[in-house]
Order: sequence, then C-alpha cells, then structure tokens
Amino acid sequence: MKFIIFALALLGSPLFVVIAALALISFYGVGIDLSVVVIEMSRLADTPLLLSLPLFIFAGSLLSESGTPQRLLKLSQGFLGWLPGGLAVVSLFVCAIFTAFTGASGVTIFAVGGILFPALLKDDYPERFSLGLLTSSGSLGLLFPPSLPLILYGVISGARIDQLFLAGILPGLVMLLLLAGYCIRQGRGVKKTHSAVSKREMVAVLREVIWELPLPIVVLGGIYGGFLVVGEAAAVTALYVLVVEVFIYKDISLSQLPKIMVQSMVLFGGILVVLAASMASTNFLVDQEVPQRLFEWVREYITNKYTFLMVLNIFLLLVGALLDIFSALVLVVPLIVPIAQAYDVNLIHLGIIFLTNLQIGYCTPPVGLNLFLASYRFERPIAELYRATLPFVGLLLLTLLIITYFPLLSLLLVETFVAG
Amino acid sequence: MKILKNLGCRFNQIEELFISLLLLAMIFLASLQIFMRILFDSGLVWADPLLRHLVLWVGMLGAALATRYGKHITIDIFSHLLSARGALRLNLVLNFFAAVVCGFLTWAAFLFIKNEIAFGSGRELVGIPVWGWNLIFPFAFALMTVRFSAKIYEHGVTLLQPKSNSSRSISGSA
Repeated sequence: MKFIIFALALLGSPLFVVIAALALISFYGVGIDLSVVVIEMSRLADTPLLLSLPLFIFAGSLLSESGTPQRLLKLSQGFLGWLPGGLAVVSLFVCAIFTAFTGASGVTIFAVGGILFPALLKDDYPERFSLGLLTSSGSLGLLFPPSLPLILYGVISGARIDQLFLAGILPGLVMLLLLAGYCIRQGRGVKKTHSAVSKREMVAVLREVIWELPLPIVVLGGIYGGFLVVGEAAAVTALYVLVVEVFIYKDISLSQLPKIMVQSMVLFGGILVVLAASMASTNFLVDQEVPQRLFEWVREYITNKYTFLMVLNIFLLLVGALLDIFSALVLVVPLIVPIAQAYDVNLIHLGIIFLTNLQIGYCTPPVGLNLFLASYRFERPIAELYRATLPFVGLLLLTLLIITYFPLLSLLLVETFVAG
Repeated sequence: MKILKNLGCRFNQIEELFISLLLLAMIFLASLQIFMRILFDSGLVWADPLLRHLVLWVGMLGAALATRYGKHITIDIFSHLLSARGALRLNLVLNFFAAVVCGFLTWAAFLFIKNEIAFGSGRELVGIPVWGWNLIFPFAFALMTVRFSAKIYEHGVTLLQPKSNSSRSISGSA
C-alpha cells in the first residue's frame, strides 16, 4: 500500500495528499483515532510565525507585478555599472535582493531575468554566460532576510528566526562576492556601454526609487532593532508595498489587486496544506521514534561530525535537485534535525547548510526547477542550460564547502549580536 | 448540469472575494496592533489569536482554490514522458486517489470537531467557540473532495469522447 502511494507521489500526485495518506494509514495501523491527523493540523494555529508567510508572499507578488524590477535595475546600474562586467554584477545583486523579498518561487527568473537577458546580450555578453548567470541567480538571495524558505525552516525546526536572519548574511555575501568576482573576470573583454553616471542622473534615479528604498530598512531595522517580530514585519511590508505600488507609483490598478491577492493565497494555500499534512506525519514519525532509529543506523557508518556533514550535503543536493524547496524543507527537516543535533551540529548553522544545498539543487540537472523556468522563459533547450549553468554551479558548490566547514561564517553575527 | 455549473461559478466568485477580504483584514489588523503598541503602548487582546486562526482560514481556502487551478505542490518527474491521452488517464487515477484521501480527511476533521464540541475546552474567541474557528478544516477538505471528484468527471468525459478531442484542455472550472 505504501509502495503504491510512493509511486503515485512520483507520478505527480499532490504532495499533501501523499503525506496525508501516509499519516492516515500509519495512525490507522497502530489503532489511533483518525481525528489525530486534523488535531495536529489545527496546532498550526499555535505558530505565530505562520502569519509572516502569506503576508510576505503577497508583498512579493505585488513587487514582481509592479515596476520595481526595472527601478531596481536602474538603481544598481547607477552604482555598479562602471565596473568591468558591471551589468553581470548588477544582475547578481538585483536577483539576490529580489529573491530575498519574493522567496525563490521562480518569479525572479520571470520578472527580473526577462529584463536582464536582452540587456546582457545587447552589451555583448556571451549568450551562454548570460543564460548561466540568470538561471543560477534565480534562487540567489535565499540566505538573505526575509526570504520565505528561511522563515519556513524556522517554523519547522523551531530555530530562532531572528538568529537565522542574522546567520544568512555573511554566507550570502561570500556567495555573491565569489560570483561577482567571476563575472568581473568574464566581463573584462566586454565592451563598456555604461560609463560613469553623472551626479544629476544619479539623483534622478534615486528620486525615482525614493519610495522603495526605505523598505529593506523598515523590515530589517524593525526586526534587528527589536521593534517588530517577524509576523509584524511582514504585515508592515505588505501594507507598505500595497500603498506604494497601488497608490503612489500606480503600477498596479485597484482592479488588478484581487487577482494578485487570490494568486498569492493559492500559492500560500499550497504550502500550508503540505505543512499541515506533515505536522501529522512528523508526529507519527516522532511517536514511533523514527529519527532515533535512523540516527542509530547512521551512527554505525558515520562516526564524526565532518563526515556526517559531507554525507548530508550529498543527500541534500539530491533532494534539492528532485523536490521544490518548500516540500524539501517540510519533508526532510524534521528527520534531519534530531540526527544533526546528535552530531553536535548547530541548529542555525544547519539551516544555512540546508538552504545553500537546496538553492544549488534548484539549478542542478536533471530536474532543477530554475532550469525549467529558464528554458521556458528564454526559449532555449534545457540541455543548453545544463552546460551554461555549470561554472556557476561549481562556484556555488565551492561556497557550500566554505559554509559547511566554517560554521563561524554563519554564526559570527549571531554570536556578536545575540550574546548568550 | 448547467444549473450546477452556474452555481459553481457564483460560489467561486464569492470564494475569491472572501479570500481577498480575509487577506486585507489580516494586513490591517496586524498593522493596527503594531501602531497601537508603538503609539499608545496597548493592543487588542483578541487580535493575535484571531490572526493566527485567520491565517489557517486564508490558507485552507487558498488550498481549496489551488485544487481548482491544479496548482498544488507536486513532485513531477515522469509525467512529461506521457502522451496527452496517457497523461489524461494518469490524471484520472491521481484525482481519484486525491478525492479518496480528501474524503478521509474530511471525515477525520468532522470527528475532530465532534470531539471538540463534546470534550473541548469551551474557550471562545470574539464570541465564537474555538471549534467554530476549526470548522474551516472539514469545510476546506470537503471542498477539495468535491473538486477532485469533479475533475474525475471531466477527465472521464474527455476520455470517453472520440480520440480527436482528447487533446482538449482539461483544466476545468469545478
């Protein structure tokens, strides 16, 4: 029976149906009343952090439907356009910021990639380089607050979300700088169409984005400054973006608004039911001491923390290449967290390792989501994208090694700012 | 059949409107809390628990809509290898499976509510007992059961038609 369910999962059955079916059968098998499944789901109402998910998703959808990507691009051009490989570096930063706010659901490739790709080609960047850059940047920025996967990891693992938000910054920057270095090297031969921007132009660009600039400051300042909990920061973001995009920039008309709201809640609903179903199945697994037994089995083969981390990385890369990030988090985190803690891996550090792996999985053949999105968006065969992303995936893997084996990179800011 | 379809359409419109209003209410209520706290150092006691229940409402209704739009999260590795007709047959099986599971979930949710009424804490939130807020679970799962079943019907009809029509769009509006 369970085999059939697994087969249906691989054939494309909705994931929450699969997990719920397994939970129902498991509880039935040990003679527990089925209502337990829904009792576990209703316990989600005890999670204050959950509120931030729909609100950030909504804010992200609004941003991607508005003129923000264009304005963001103009701004970064003004500041970074003079560099060799300037536009490529600009692409990295724009994608990273955009993904942090919209949460790696593929919108980056659609909303930002669509503008950047023709611009890169116009500046004579090689097509393969541009494709690889944009495909792998589609999930860049996952480690920066307030990214949704980061919040979801906090919800599932119970790690402190404010600490996760601090932990992601340095690893994310290392990743950006490595990629930027590569872009600058590749960009040396490219003709420069964007010379230094005059002061007056800079002022004009700044004036244009004046309403959007405060957003990161409000969100991050609010959270790090201790004025807002994450759910509240999400509410402020949603309200702010709503007012700015609809009433000030008027990028989005009132009549478009309901459609965007509904779409973003459909997205949230999809995540919520998977989360709800996994509340029940995880409860069963813990009840049956599955993580405990899994750990005892793993301990036979892996004796030290560093080997464990290496094996974990390989495992997560595979998971990331097969599953989308939300289902991967929901399915794998509850099983891995107890084991990792037994190996004395820091919960916050583990989160950063998790997300880095899943981010790389996004652009790993054969089924990384970014590859499909990019193939669809840029109208290129997927095999071409495999080759194009290779150097970028290589650099991301290098970052992964650094992140995995230098825990301090993730923990430095946490230890500095959250003493004790 | 036509009356049923019209009724369904009207219901869908109301559902989408309701979701939009819920989302707006959540944004304003949460923002109001912050302003009241920062400006007057006070707040509404019931707002935070209410918000946590509204999140479930908006999410479960969103999930019911995701069923209609076919937007649930799936692990889709093999389906693109199938022909149009093969995919339709597969969809028939998958929707049947989903309808059965959602049926059981509806029943489980119904049992849950029944137990809460009988043995629950009797706590209330803005005048509505907590089991009332949890009614969203049986409601949303029942709605998903209906929608997955409706898809079985649509796919069945398409499959029974002559071959030339089998490539017709299968995204219905149940």
